[in-house]
Amino acid sequence: MQRRTWVPIATGIVALVFFALPSEEPLRGFLPDWVSLVLIYWTFALPARMMVGMAWSVGLVVDIVSFGLPGAYALSKAVLVYLARVLALRVRTYPLWQQTIVVLGLLGIEALILTLIDFIVSGDLSGLQRWTAVVVGALVWPVVYWILRRARHLARLGH
Amino acid sequence: MNRTRSSAIRGLSLYVLLSAGLITADHYSPVVRQIFQFAAVIGVPVHFLASLPSTVLERMQGKLEPTDQLRRNYAALREHNLILQARLHRFEFLESENIRLRRLLSAVPATAEKVTLAALVAVNPDPKGQAVLINKGSADGVFQGQPVVDAGGIVGQVTRPGMFRSTVSLVTRENQGISVQVARTSLRAVIYGGGRNRPLRVLYLDRNSDIRTGDLLVTSGLAGRYPAGYPVALVTAVERNLSESFMNVAAEPTSYLGSEREVLLLWLPALDQPVASDLLDSEGELVD
Repeated sequence: MQRRTWVPIATGIVALVFFALPSEEPLRGFLPDWVSLVLIYWTFALPARMMVGMAWSVGLVVDIVSFGLPGAYALSKAVLVYLARVLALRVRTYPLWQQTIVVLGLLGIEALILTLIDFIVSGDLSGLQRWTAVVVGALVWPVVYWILRRARHLARLGH
Repeated sequence: MNRTRSSAIRGLSLYVLLSAGLITADHYSPVVRQIFQFAAVIGVPVHFLASLPSTVLERMQGKLEPTDQLRRNYAALREHNLILQARLHRFEFLESENIRLRRLLSAVPATAEKVTLAALVAVNPDPKGQAVLINKGSADGVFQGQPVVDAGGIVGQVTRPGMFRSTVSLVTRENQGISVQVARTSLRAVIYGGGRNRPLRVLYLDRNSDIRTGDLLVTSGLAGRYPAGYPVALVTAVERNLSESFMNVAAEPTSYLGSEREVLLLWLPALDQPVASDLLDSEGELVD
């Protein structure tokens, strides 16, 4: 059977487009970081193949696309995938609700890193909506998980 | 197991250092910033895809709008245009008079700015929602710190110019200050952004200063970043507290803050270039 490695890449690109999608004012702060969710999924599914360097490059692309501080998302995504790799084998045996809690923790750590970088560079601690986005991200995790598992079966990528 | 983990940690710390290096380099080196301006090109297809739904929706709305409504809109716009033109004639007269009077005072003539229209890209560049993306970049001569206005007044300034796209920080962005003056009394002050959905604040105004709700704050041009005379905000609340030496003033931005489709980019004549004295030299008798 032929493996389709382009599927994870395609899901990453879709997540990037979702990340850049415009949103109206009341909704804006509550949208989760889709790129992080996709990275977490693929790291849990294929911990041996997801490298920290890959996550770093993805983060750099997010930095460039979002016109943010170059290096900030790269750093946070690298740490995110590193932690997800450490946890991957254990998490795979968890039921979905327990996985959701782990995802909440991972997204929270990423938000903490981004907030710290913001604070060091510009000295403001604003951005409370970043934390609501963390909670929303964990809440949508089951849906993301389900969709990406379908994608993984389609790609015939095993463990 | 232990060895693989320690090597993984070493790998991670390499990337952490790399990121820290990038962040520092971006802060200090203009070359690195230039490289990222070029790299921003890879964002263009992503932004195109992300803005596709809203553009298509808008097109369809234009198609679906009934003809008589379009006709009515057209008539209203025409009327509005006529009124503006009439006002412009008066303005031109006033401008020429103003230049003449300034010459009599041998003062610096008010200089005209170059202006370019830029469209907003329907994309969310900043998760904090304090920036908008425009479809002009350094290829069009956009530079960092460039003032951006719309029909209502100051929108903000360009913070990150890319090759073809740039981000504009809104005036509501936290800790971003603009030097203003009260249009009614020419009292000078500095106004700061308060963050998302929060009013702008005028800080360090003496308790006895003459400022009221409804006062218009316009740019004073003192900091040299924004041209003088553009509206920034309307004062919405003034709170005098006897126990404090400064008062609390809240204000609302007058511009549409990127909810309009188009904004204007301004090019100011460079401040250190003696444009004014050149003009005065040609009018021999005005120069002492």
